[in-house]
Amino acid sequence: MSRTTSYPQTMPPTRPEVSSAGPKARPARWIELSTSADHKDISRVLMGAAFGSVFLAALQLLLMRVQLAVPENVFLKGVTFDRLLSLYGETSIFLVALPLIIGLLYYVVPLQIGSRGTAIPRIGQIGLWLFIFGGILLYGSLLFTPPEAGINPLPPFSDATFTPNNGVDVWIGSTGMITLGLLMISIDLLTTLHTLRAPGMAWRRAPLFTWAGAIVTWLFAVIGPIFLAAITMLLIDRIYNGGFFSGDEGGSPILWQHFSYIFFTGVYMAIAVSILAAIGEIVETFTGRELPRKATTRAFLAIAIVGTLAWTQNMMTAPIGSGWKYFGMLASLALIVPFGLIFYNLISTVSSSDFHMRAPLRFALGALSLASIGLAAEIAQSTIAVATQLSETYDAWAATQFTLVGFVLFGGFAAVTYWYPKITGHQINEDRAAKSFGLMFVGALVATLPLFLAGVSGQVTDSYRYFAYEDLTVYNVIAAVGTLMLFVGIILAVGNLIKSRTEEPVATPDPYRANSLEWLALSPPPAHNFDVLPDVRSTRPMRDVREAINRRDAVDAEAEVTAQPVA
Amino acid sequence: MAVVLLPRSIKPVSLFISLVGTMLGFALTASPAMALSLNPDAASPGVKDGNTLHWILFIVIVVVIVVVNLAILRAARPRTRHVKPSEGRSLSQVKLAIGLGVAALAIFVVATVFSDKSREIPAVNATPVAGQLKGQPLEIEATGSQWLWRFNYPNGAFSYRRLVVPAGVTVQLDLVSTDVVHGWNVPELTGKAQAVPGKTNYVYFRADDPGTYTSRSSVFSGQGYDTMEIEVQVVSPDEYEAAIERLKTDIQTAQDKVEAEFAESKRKTEIGAAAGKKMEAEINKDQIESADSE
Repeated sequence: MSRTTSYPQTMPPTRPEVSSAGPKARPARWIELSTSADHKDISRVLMGAAFGSVFLAALQLLLMRVQLAVPENVFLKGVTFDRLLSLYGETSIFLVALPLIIGLLYYVVPLQIGSRGTAIPRIGQIGLWLFIFGGILLYGSLLFTPPEAGINPLPPFSDATFTPNNGVDVWIGSTGMITLGLLMISIDLLTTLHTLRAPGMAWRRAPLFTWAGAIVTWLFAVIGPIFLAAITMLLIDRIYNGGFFSGDEGGSPILWQHFSYIFFTGVYMAIAVSILAAIGEIVETFTGRELPRKATTRAFLAIAIVGTLAWTQNMMTAPIGSGWKYFGMLASLALIVPFGLIFYNLISTVSSSDFHMRAPLRFALGALSLASIGLAAEIAQSTIAVATQLSETYDAWAATQFTLVGFVLFGGFAAVTYWYPKITGHQINEDRAAKSFGLMFVGALVATLPLFLAGVSGQVTDSYRYFAYEDLTVYNVIAAVGTLMLFVGIILAVGNLIKSRTEEPVATPDPYRANSLEWLALSPPPAHNFDVLPDVRSTRPMRDVREAINRRDAVDAEAEVTAQPVA
Repeated sequence: MAVVLLPRSIKPVSLFISLVGTMLGFALTASPAMALSLNPDAASPGVKDGNTLHWILFIVIVVVIVVVNLAILRAARPRTRHVKPSEGRSLSQVKLAIGLGVAALAIFVVATVFSDKSREIPAVNATPVAGQLKGQPLEIEATGSQWLWRFNYPNGAFSYRRLVVPAGVTVQLDLVSTDVVHGWNVPELTGKAQAVPGKTNYVYFRADDPGTYTSRSSVFSGQGYDTMEIEVQVVSPDEYEAAIERLKTDIQTAQDKVEAEFAESKRKTEIGAAAGKKMEAEINKDQIESADSE
């Protein structure tokens, strides 16, 4: 049947240089990684970039908090603080949160749906390289002019008149390349999800994280182009005096606030959906119980749609019509339903089950705890009368920081430690994970809780100093100490991810006896992901595989027993 | 199947620390007396309504946070006995969603009522002060520029950084900007509102008692942002009228002085020019005469 056996063995090879060369030597790992269009390699680079950048973001936050620890501090110059603030804003969203969730989804979801690759891998590869060049542009700008127009550079301040240096152009270029890159990766994943699901993998059988993948990539396909259009308009305003965002030429500065907040609110919701779905997978695996599938996926959909529509929640002080503000308030408060549903399902499922406490579950519960504080505080932020007082203060900052630190850091570490055996082929060190979790958790609480009080006492964000008469010192000192703890905790946790790759024992393909298909692949999966694929017949294909193997073993054993010669 | 329950979660010091940290966190968040003293002193009716709403929501938030986190702590508890899967998660999803929806709607209704009240224009005073139309709020224009606020009063006077308003009088501030977006921010009187170029934003307030409120802008506007202070001085209506009259006369005096100085320098220039011309004419005359004599 095979060609070699049908060949006459005595016949000399017609092309000796081909048959005698042997297989081509494998190129160096970095060459393989950087030229590969495989979704797993692309995701590894994305997640590596996210965990490298989380160190930078935490360092920038720490420097800012040290500057703010004492009133009228002279540790940093005003312009240095503005640059750190702008870098921190872009790094934490575009270089940490987004690549982390897109990277996780892009790695895991094709495996979960039993696909041997992605649909348009070259699109994903271009996306990765756009992302890399965006990151290089941002940090390369430290050599000339880094961005300095704040976390969200509002025109007209970001126009060429008021910020004539290249900082805002760098911001536009880098966020544009990163957004476009991640959008292309999302579109590859989206196409894969719709075309390359394994036989029998209907949507009703798809795991939660796959659902999150579909929702997040669709959401990104909606909000990504809006943001790209907005920054293009800003660039035209800056270079060609376009007038999109200046009042005297028919445009309006308010327009930018609408566009940018649609994007940022959508990103917030994409983070929430994907991380909650990852926590859902962790909870299902460790408790061995299924979450209510229909309710949970509908809640994800509601968060993505209603949450993004709540963008005017950020614009309560802007001169826009009252209707916008009441709509923003209604949409934000409506989010109580899906978030409440998901939190209830996750916590009650854990509460009513037996489990081994392991690193992913610990990080997941920490994420739920911190995010619950941030999301609850958002209730006050979303009402008009309170937002008039508290928006643009550290109260709003603290609510966002709790939610994002909870979801991105803790949820991110939960998801990465959960899929760590699959991605690296090694187990994670539980002791180090627990220690880094404790330090990070206490650090996050100490770093963020005092900011609520500072915000209610009126400390405004984005300012590089405050004055002694404002009585804000004690909160800022505590927050600085907490941020230092958080920073050290992050270093320990990232260090654990790096060290466990070489020091820990090799992981089996299915270390948790989980239910979704990614655990059928080897750890780490080969380039083609799966040698054989089962027909998916339920929401728990891996359990079906294990049961089939057990049945076959039983039959074999029985056959062995019956085959024993009768003495 | 022997399930070894939570073999490692109790031992690490980290879990203990995190528990203590959570408790400390709740102590911090849930100390209402502390947070009460931090809310801005309401010096205008709208702010009072905002503070009341913040109070109601603060209690809701603290209850939500405490309940959710106690549930998480309970979920992470060490297992001393086998847990039957039938325990917990007894609520049906539909009932839960309806319950949460009712709660969200209730919060929305309460928030709408108080937001409406806080956005109402306070009752206009019966006896108008100078520059105020009867039955209308006193209109003052606040202009943000990098990095100074300018206030234009109805009588044509203006001031920088410090706004003087009469107590017991309803004031309408027209917020505009000449350059970038600025954040108007006086917690005790109005809360925050953006001053956006090309568009006017309005805030209304009625300060009941005299006093001085200092604050600073709240939207990042560049390198002088931290020095962009606002001082609102609430004085009695008589003092207000006197103050803006004084401002007007001061401005007029300064203007007159500048004009006088300008006129003086112009006059001096003219005298000088005339003298120069005269001298030139004399020199010319001398030259002509000397030429004639030769």
